Amino acid sequence: MSDWLFFIEVSLAGLGSGALLALAALAFVLIYKATQVVNLAVGELLMLGGYLFFAFAAGWGLPAWAAVPLAVIGGGLVGAVVERGIIRPMLGESAISVFMVTVGLGSVLIGLVELIWTADPRTLPAFISTKPLFLGEAYVSRKIAVAFAVAAVVIGIFLLLFRFWRGGVALRATATDQAAAYSCGINVPGVFSIAWIVGCATAAGAGILLGAIGGISPTMGVFGLSALVVVIVGGLDSILGALVGGLALGLIQSWTGTYLGGEYTNVVTFGILIVALMIRPYGLFGTHEIERL
Amino acid sequence: MFRMTRRAALGAVAGLTLAAGPALAQEEEIVIGASLPLTGVFAFAGVAIESGLNDYITLLNEEGGIDGKPVRLVYEDTGYKVEQSLAVFNKITSSEDVHFYYGDSTGFAKTIGPEIERSGDMVLAGASFATELNDPEIHPHAFITGPDYSEMVEILLEYIAEESPGATVAMINSDTEFGRDPIERTKAKAEELGLDIVLEIVTAPGAVDVSTEVLKLRRSRPDYAIFHGYVLAPLPEFITQAKELGLETQFMGTFWSMDSKQWADVGEAADGYMGVMPYRYYHDTAEDAPMLDKIREMRGVYQHSGYMQGFLSAMLMTEATKRVMASGEELTGDTLKAALNSIQDFDTGGIIGVPISIPGNSVPVGRVYRFDAAAGEMMPVSDWITLGD
Repeated sequence: MSDWLFFIEVSLAGLGSGALLALAALAFVLIYKATQVVNLAVGELLMLGGYLFFAFAAGWGLPAWAAVPLAVIGGGLVGAVVERGIIRPMLGESAISVFMVTVGLGSVLIGLVELIWTADPRTLPAFISTKPLFLGEAYVSRKIAVAFAVAAVVIGIFLLLFRFWRGGVALRATATDQAAAYSCGINVPGVFSIAWIVGCATAAGAGILLGAIGGISPTMGVFGLSALVVVIVGGLDSILGALVGGLALGLIQSWTGTYLGGEYTNVVTFGILIVALMIRPYGLFGTHEIERL
Repeated sequence: MFRMTRRAALGAVAGLTLAAGPALAQEEEIVIGASLPLTGVFAFAGVAIESGLNDYITLLNEEGGIDGKPVRLVYEDTGYKVEQSLAVFNKITSSEDVHFYYGDSTGFAKTIGPEIERSGDMVLAGASFATELNDPEIHPHAFITGPDYSEMVEILLEYIAEESPGATVAMINSDTEFGRDPIERTKAKAEELGLDIVLEIVTAPGAVDVSTEVLKLRRSRPDYAIFHGYVLAPLPEFITQAKELGLETQFMGTFWSMDSKQWADVGEAADGYMGVMPYRYYHDTAEDAPMLDKIREMRGVYQHSGYMQGFLSAMLMTEATKRVMASGEELTGDTLKAALNSIQDFDTGGIIGVPISIPGNSVPVGRVYRFDAAAGEMMPVSDWITLGD
């Protein structure tokens, strides 16, 4: 087998896992873009999505075509409850307070999952074919290919929505200036709710895909840390940044793991984070805010 | 109305103390302390270990305890965090007379090790099978209820060398202290047995997608691949992708990735997965395993392999205590460890299928099992292998 073919295969695998990172990163971006809240519980919401799918597919025996949307809707409902019950009362509080609330939320979600489903690692009922996919001669894991396709479609839809849909424009307006958005008649609290619902539903969807590949456990939320690196590098308020950052990080992790060894993956990942923060603290595609005195 | 003066009150307290004295002596008990991970990443095992420890102690107490003294397990949850584990240790050992302590992790064992050696009061057992703890020179008061991680892999290599002399082997380890543990010894043992290590893969902690690792595997096409440092993920995905690519590699694992039920939940992809297990499984109905019959009487549903580890740990800790008390010596780290090392050809009631001895800090025995998806259970494919025999 030629080294070039191997390199292409490794790169395709990297793009696939990068798409998953991008999808999880999208959940960070959607919420931050509208509410300026860095939701550190995205990883745990992602985990919850995996468990909801497990409950619907394995517990209730529903087919995947029903269990997947139900789990995504379940994630959205959790987002709505969290926003109305916890985040909205925190409006006006310092960013660090809201940030810490999301840290606590993550712990609560882990505790709930352990209470309901125990701490045992589990496997999701198979709903994606395992037959290998070949692009020409290059091998691609079918699950990774599906993750890539789903992430590409979802991110593409969001890019279009933010550009052309009234709700998307309202969200962008709210992100730019909340007071101005209010004065233009935009329902800012409603925008907050929608951002949390859609963000959490996206995280739940990413959790289902992630669970289909690696199984589920209460600790799978650590994946959110890598996604956080993506949004910091790509820009906390940039959907395009999440896409480009996710794919780039996936590629770099894949090359690092293959040619240097898995022990270097985290070193390189978080090294990139530090360098990115030093060079462009607002991210590659993020908004560079300039405060004029 | 009765009015108690200070003198009367002091007298009453003194009288009560004197009266309670003999009663306290009669109720003297043996306390085993434990830092158990009942929540957190290791909770799946911690809960099972706690059940195993408590069940053996219950059985023992029903038969009169040790020399008429009941045994009591005192434990608290640690969340699998070393600092919490240390806090629990300090709390329990400062309020109870503890001579055996069950720790929850390698990190805890290494952190508390110097204190255990300094105090000389107790022996430290636990959930860790770290190779580093299996050195009586450095850790004279440590004890592992089974083979250490290197010994587990060595048991697998002995099996491979017996079944397929000169076979090629891939090592797949997670980039954690747990995962890296047996790497050096694996290489040395493979060379000694004439096996060829053709691939070494280290996966990043928490890695989910393993496509790139499977690609490496496809390039080297080893006869066997030994996982270490994992519980479940990402093993099923690894095996599934390799099978779909037509690889005939035999995948194997060590204790923490060998629970029967977790593979039953994986389904068809788990068929043929092999590994080393130091204890019999809950479902094993071997005739020479009366203790398993008792366990099934107490617990009607499958128990995780961690249960057997906890159960046997309690059995060996209390056996050592019994031996020291029978000799009339004081319970100390030295006497208890000597008593553990005096255990030779000991019948575990079938928890382990052969009589065991504890020559150093570990019990270097194991058996190779293979998962049968049709039966939904791990099935033995080798006899019990005792290293050094």
